[in-house]
Amino acid sequence: MSRDLAGRSGLLLTAITCVATLWLAISGDLILYIHPRYVVFTAVLAAVGLVLCVAALVLVRGDGHEDHGDHDDHDDHDDHAGGRRWPRIVGATAVGLVALALVAAPPATLSSTTAAQRDITGTPANVEGPDATELSAAAPDVSAGFTVLDWSSLLRQSSDPAVFADRTVDVVGFVTPDPADPENVFYVSRFMITCCAVDAQPVGVPVYQEGWADELSPDDWVHVEGEFASNPSPASDAALAVVPDGVEIVEEPDEPYLF
Amino acid sequence: MTRTAPAPARPVRRPSRGRLAVVALGIVAALLAVRIVTGGADVDLPDLLSDLITFTLSVIIESLPFVLLGVLLSLVVQVWVKDAWISRVLPSAPVPRRIVLSLLGVVFPVCECGNVPFARGLMLRGVPVSDSFAFLLAAPIINPVTIITTHQAFGFDDGILVVRLVGGFLIANLVAWLYSRHPEPERLLTDRFAAECRMPHSESGGRAGRALGIFQHETASMLPALFLGALVAGAIQVAVPRDVLLALGTHPVLSVLAMMALAIVISVCSSVDAFFVLPFASSFLPGGIVAFLLLGPIVDVKMLALLRTTFTPRTLAQISGVVALACLAIGLGVNLVS
Repeated sequence: MSRDLAGRSGLLLTAITCVATLWLAISGDLILYIHPRYVVFTAVLAAVGLVLCVAALVLVRGDGHEDHGDHDDHDDHDDHAGGRRWPRIVGATAVGLVALALVAAPPATLSSTTAAQRDITGTPANVEGPDATELSAAAPDVSAGFTVLDWSSLLRQSSDPAVFADRTVDVVGFVTPDPADPENVFYVSRFMITCCAVDAQPVGVPVYQEGWADELSPDDWVHVEGEFASNPSPASDAALAVVPDGVEIVEEPDEPYLF
Repeated sequence: MTRTAPAPARPVRRPSRGRLAVVALGIVAALLAVRIVTGGADVDLPDLLSDLITFTLSVIIESLPFVLLGVLLSLVVQVWVKDAWISRVLPSAPVPRRIVLSLLGVVFPVCECGNVPFARGLMLRGVPVSDSFAFLLAAPIINPVTIITTHQAFGFDDGILVVRLVGGFLIANLVAWLYSRHPEPERLLTDRFAAECRMPHSESGGRAGRALGIFQHETASMLPALFLGALVAGAIQVAVPRDVLLALGTHPVLSVLAMMALAIVISVCSSVDAFFVLPFASSFLPGGIVAFLLLGPIVDVKMLALLRTTFTPRTLAQISGVVALACLAIGLGVNLVS
């Protein structure tokens, strides 16, 4: 790589990242990668970065350090120039592929494969969710707007069917098979994001439907309506499950993650 | 035999600024056009590949503003801050100087990604290599954003906030003190960055031009490292089942080790890591939570990739070892008294 081009590689990578970020912000898909509270901050800095990239390309000569004399200008990781060719090639290829993904990969949410890998029932994801002890005495309409996150939080607090009696579950999420009984039970699932997609924690509500795979596939977005009952599946670890009145395939919502 | 005189070097013709501006805007427009066209493509990638891409891009996009902020602060320090100001602010005695540097994050809360270019700027302005560790290791923890979010998440429960702040301060100053005894601190740096530090500080040219030159130079160092770090962090996310780590939560020793391993692989920003780890507080002993909150901002996959732009692998291995041992000791101590 020529000295001039190597010096400007950072500008190109920055411009690629800034353009991709701004496009995601404008199209509303930035929340597939980061929490909404960072969207404005990230978009503003990306715009500033893009302006600086253009200004540097126009106004800076060479690698930006021409005044400082000659020095090895090929790679920051290149402490010993000889004999390190392959690591450099592998590194440059990896960087190129990531840049390609920034420019060309369609925005996507995380899949049920990751949800299954992260123990959908294992972690209390919302410590400020509804309280199971108060739910029994609450009016029926209190739980009308509960999300997957609210119900999963309640299920972690109690497996007493009386707590959930006469409560209608009406939620939207994607299908994740129950690892213990994948033929008859699936979780209607969502990811909860704290900062960015890397920290995504799946939450889910078990749904008992024999042979669900005949009509649904993992990752399908579904609208589930029904009531909790003792889980008829002897193999599943979930004590309670929604026995659905209806399961309907729907479009992925504009905000697929819960925040 | 006749000797031919070497031909005089032909002056390199540089394209005019107008032409360069057209090229630059053309590149931006082309990138945007490709992004718009590919954005709506209906491509059905395998789940693991799709998730790998989402994780990798997520780390890059989340880190980008902080890296840019760090680069901007770095160029401000290098171009606009006078030497006299730096020497007036920083005490000349080593211990107080390191203490001041370890508290610098209070006024420059730029997250750990941004701290790397900022620390490079400080070293280029003559701050000793060992002292830069006091800033690099403490600033992600001892800054107002991290303090507020940790307090929001835990309050003063189990002393997690206090142990995090005091622990971060002590670890940073311990590492800085250890390396202050190094006979050849330049050997801690990559050859290239050491060469940059040896060069006299340039005051030639306009400040805006020099600032843009530093911007170009720093992005050439930081962005490839960020891309590689994000890719490795993303690959670990899809390859390592997280519930394997979380099954160890109630063991007094293994819980600390498991949360340290999680901190290294998760690469989550220090300003919000307290919210991330909060849900684990009910299933993990507090020592594990403290170890996560101490180690993550200092040693994680993404941070190591960024630090590699400046320090040798040997230096990073040593720092990681010292910091991990300190975090383990503090985590076990917290479990012992809680």
